[in-house]
Amino acid sequence: MSYITIDKTKCKSCYLCADVCPKALIKKDGDTGKTGQATVRFEDKNNECLACAQCAMVCPDLAIVSVIKE
Amino acid sequence: MQTSEIKYTVPKSIKKDTVFTFCPGCDHGVALRLVAEVLDELNLREKSVAIASSGCSVLLYDFLDVDCIESPHGRACAVATGVKRAHKANGSDKFVFTYQGDGDFASIGLGESLHSALRGENITAICINNTNYGMTGGQMGPTSAMGQITTTSPTGRNKEYHGFPIKTAEHIALCDGVSYSARVALYDIKNIINAKKTIKKAFEYQLEGLGFSFIEILSSCPTNWKLSPSEAHKKIENELTKTYPIKVFKDIKETPNV
Repeated sequence: MSYITIDKTKCKSCYLCADVCPKALIKKDGDTGKTGQATVRFEDKNNECLACAQCAMVCPDLAIVSVIKE
Repeated sequence: MQTSEIKYTVPKSIKKDTVFTFCPGCDHGVALRLVAEVLDELNLREKSVAIASSGCSVLLYDFLDVDCIESPHGRACAVATGVKRAHKANGSDKFVFTYQGDGDFASIGLGESLHSALRGENITAICINNTNYGMTGGQMGPTSAMGQITTTSPTGRNKEYHGFPIKTAEHIALCDGVSYSARVALYDIKNIINAKKTIKKAFEYQLEGLGFSFIEILSSCPTNWKLSPSEAHKKIENELTKTYPIKVFKDIKETPNV
């Protein structure tokens, strides 16, 4: 089961990761971050994550701390 | 047996617990991360000197775990020349690179930049081109595209009053001392991977002592363009790449100087 780790204190709600995820596993969260907008959360109920790391590659704020493939 | 493989972690050349202070969606974060990844891959962290200059790019010294000097506005290439030559005279070869914005490299410091290229100084210059003066509030820069609306060109840039934008990578490629000159962008995954390869190549050319290597990174500035981060990336893809084509303009290994 592959997964990513998001550091919400670094997220600035640009949603570039949500746009790029091929499986649409990154969604807006209920919490608001520093910018006053919703941060993102990773939700993978059916083990779909490919660990392609595209989300980490586009994130401008190092908020996606790690991508682990299992 | 299940094995886990780390596909991505934060590069070691970025200081621990760094929080970038750039605006949301700014490509500076991606560019800095790519530089840090290449520094890790080439194992250059301990022998590098980074030269930051004025603008948003100056914040590099807070984030990268390498020795940094903050130069006066536009004079990064001149300072880099001094650092490189002084260390060479002392017998220690340092890896020197500059990280500048477009207003810094191509407007205020054009003389220093161009003459460093003409002298063939063995340094690497990285220029983040976001087509305006981002830190001071989005004034028109030398690289603003025709028709672009900024705070100092409220009716759009026009050729009668403002003239035409400078295409830095093409100009630098014309200098004989240059080993490598290319323009890359960061608006999608393919271009980000290409940008990393290009930065690595430019760094390797300096390590081989081939002369001045230059990369112009076409970057977004969502705050001053007044667009969302993804709209800003679409603007680069659909509009700016017509003015600024993504291309390698000079590679001394393929086309040597006559």
